[in-house]
Amino acid sequence: MNNSSRKVWESPWGYPEGFIVATGVVLAGILLQLTSGKLNPDLYAYPVNIIIGALFVIGLLTIHFIYKKSRIVRWLSTVYSTLPAIALLLVLCIKLGLIPQLPVTADESQLPFDLFSYLGWYQMTTSWPFVLTCFYLLIILGFTTLRRTGRKQSWRDIGFYLNHLGLFIALLGGILGSADLERLTMTVSEGNVEWRGTTHRGDVVEMPLAIQLDSFIIEEYEPKLVLIDTQTGRILPDTRPESYMYEGIGKKTQLAGIYLEITDYLPHAAVFRDSIHSNIVPMQMEGAATALKVKATYESTAQPVEGWISNGSYIFPHSTLQVDENRSLAMPPQEVKRYSSHVTLYTDEGNTEKAVIEVNKPLSVNNWMIYQYSYDDSKGKYSDTSVFELVYDPWLKFIYIGIAMLLAGAIYLFVAGPKTDNLIEEKIVEERQSQS
Amino acid sequence: MTWDSFIYFSLGSLLLWGVSDISAYVSRKKIIPLLISTAGLILFGLFIAGLWISLERPPLRTMGETRLWYSFFLPLAGLLTYLRWDYKWILPFTTLLSAVFIIINITNPDIHNKALMPALQSPWFAPHVIIYMFSYALLGAVTLVAVYYLVKGEKLENTTKIMIMADNMVYAGIACVTLGMLMGALWAKEAWGHYWSWDPKETWAAATWLGYLIYIHYRLKKRSSNKTSMIILIIAFILLQICWYGVNYLPSAQQSIHTYS
Ligand code: HEM
Repeated sequence: MNNSSRKVWESPWGYPEGFIVATGVVLAGILLQLTSGKLNPDLYAYPVNIIIGALFVIGLLTIHFIYKKSRIVRWLSTVYSTLPAIALLLVLCIKLGLIPQLPVTADESQLPFDLFSYLGWYQMTTSWPFVLTCFYLLIILGFTTLRRTGRKQSWRDIGFYLNHLGLFIALLGGILGSADLERLTMTVSEGNVEWRGTTHRGDVVEMPLAIQLDSFIIEEYEPKLVLIDTQTGRILPDTRPESYMYEGIGKKTQLAGIYLEITDYLPHAAVFRDSIHSNIVPMQMEGAATALKVKATYESTAQPVEGWISNGSYIFPHSTLQVDENRSLAMPPQEVKRYSSHVTLYTDEGNTEKAVIEVNKPLSVNNWMIYQYSYDDSKGKYSDTSVFELVYDPWLKFIYIGIAMLLAGAIYLFVAGPKTDNLIEEKIVEERQSQS
Repeated sequence: MTWDSFIYFSLGSLLLWGVSDISAYVSRKKIIPLLISTAGLILFGLFIAGLWISLERPPLRTMGETRLWYSFFLPLAGLLTYLRWDYKWILPFTTLLSAVFIIINITNPDIHNKALMPALQSPWFAPHVIIYMFSYALLGAVTLVAVYYLVKGEKLENTTKIMIMADNMVYAGIACVTLGMLMGALWAKEAWGHYWSWDPKETWAAATWLGYLIYIHYRLKKRSSNKTSMIILIIAFILLQICWYGVNYLPSAQQSIHTYS
């Protein structure tokens, strides 16, 4: 692009060579994919990934110091190789974003029998073209960063190193670390101790730690009311379903054209239903349901209807209030506000620790992180079972170093802005002068 | 404060922004449009604050709520661009774009209630979304610059100055996109156990990021064509639209954990 009289492959290399080499990387990837199938992360699990990482970095350094004058190595640290490489990754990302993906762990028998499967497009992130492209970018990133150290250093270089070295560390760490990543679930019921985890394949394995569930607590939001079509069960109005969240006894509101007044509220109720009536009484017990008493008026009906509405529980049926022939008031299940597990943790080394685990507040032990994952849905807020996810990621430190550098680099970019060359300033002055 | 009063606040702000845009053309001093625009921003900001208080959670969960922030940040980005680079036309354009999002919110509000699912209850939630919305506004503004450039074509004077302005806006924009994305990664580690899962939303965020990286690196060469640069900006903005709401309509998004109704 810079000197149009130049032929392809004639030095200095530019964008055309960049696109050709990038295409070559993809073709190599496709060949590997067709001959050897998708990349199996188990193949490069510890310690192989450490060896690959070390060899890769040492290789880059060696080549840089011996061949840094070589045209190809020099070209590999320019925008001419960078742009086609980023563009290629962008194309792969777009495909990844369009084609529904199957779990990395799904094996061939679970994939559809078509061309996309052969090319690895349903498991893009473990396909050879994707991984090779990432490594190609890493090579360019590495050489670019190394070349930069040979220049007279200025303040601007700090931003450059933060962004490029940061991305190098995060990307390399992310790829290599993915092989050592382990995710298991552990289901524990109140009062019990569990030390076995279940892998995504369904294998049960013994863990280096045990969890005792002391108590499990769910907090729910206030109950909501909706108007439903009795025939279809759909929430009205069809175009934009409305709902009303309980705000206190005596409150009046309008819901999908119906006037409502909340006349009573029972957070713990028992619901008894015979063929005609629902009978609702207060009852403090496990499995009690939430109930609201409502007076509803529909403009054309002079007589308001009044009655109890409840969303039931695993013991009691739900109960709706018929407003007219086609419409009823109902209470959907309450939304969960918080759920947390109070646990006692035992580690292999004999340590004991009490902790609270909840969503967004995982517990970290050695290289393991313990997450609040789920609970017994069928029992809702009375669940006495908690499901944890245990994640092992020994490479996390690298990722965090890379992310921290990229964060600092982004702040640097925001503050410093683009490089304003003297050349550009001169050009503006020239343009101004030619205008006046 | 509830959505019922949105129409008064938003139309009030739009009126102020409109007057400010006209005053930028009429008056010689920048202080007058600055003051009127700021009044509009304060009025709109009051509504957001009031909604935040009444919902007892940051209004960032639904599409309608994020559109709210976008309508706020666009005129802000336009105002800053005007103050720094003197281009008056950016003001009416950003006001107009903001008006589009306000009208969508008036005619088609989402259901808004207080419930915030546990995964969203995190200190990362507000900075992550707000910084993304700010970057979207900035990159929306620079897309207007790109379209303006391509439409005016050869007739433009002083193209170098426009390119420098675009560079500045993209650098600030990609800085915010990077911050938003990485905060998202740190949050994902806390909430879902992994910092990056190539979920459709994440994939399109990466695609958007790569799009603007292409622009930045392409611009490093003095001989690069201005027109190509502007076309890259427009493509990158299309990727951003897919990331923001387009993913919800893609077949791949059925598996996304990042779609909240
Ligand atoms: C994807 C991998 C990347 C590659 C292969 C790459 C490659 C390059 C190359 C070859 C240069 C020219 C270096 C020179 O002339 O000394 C450069 C400069 C630059 N890159 Fe990147 N880059 C990448 C990622 C990034 C990222 C993530 C950012 C920021 C968010 C970034 C921002 C910049 C900036 C601002 C410059 C100009 C630096 C200056 O001269 O001050 N790059 N990059």
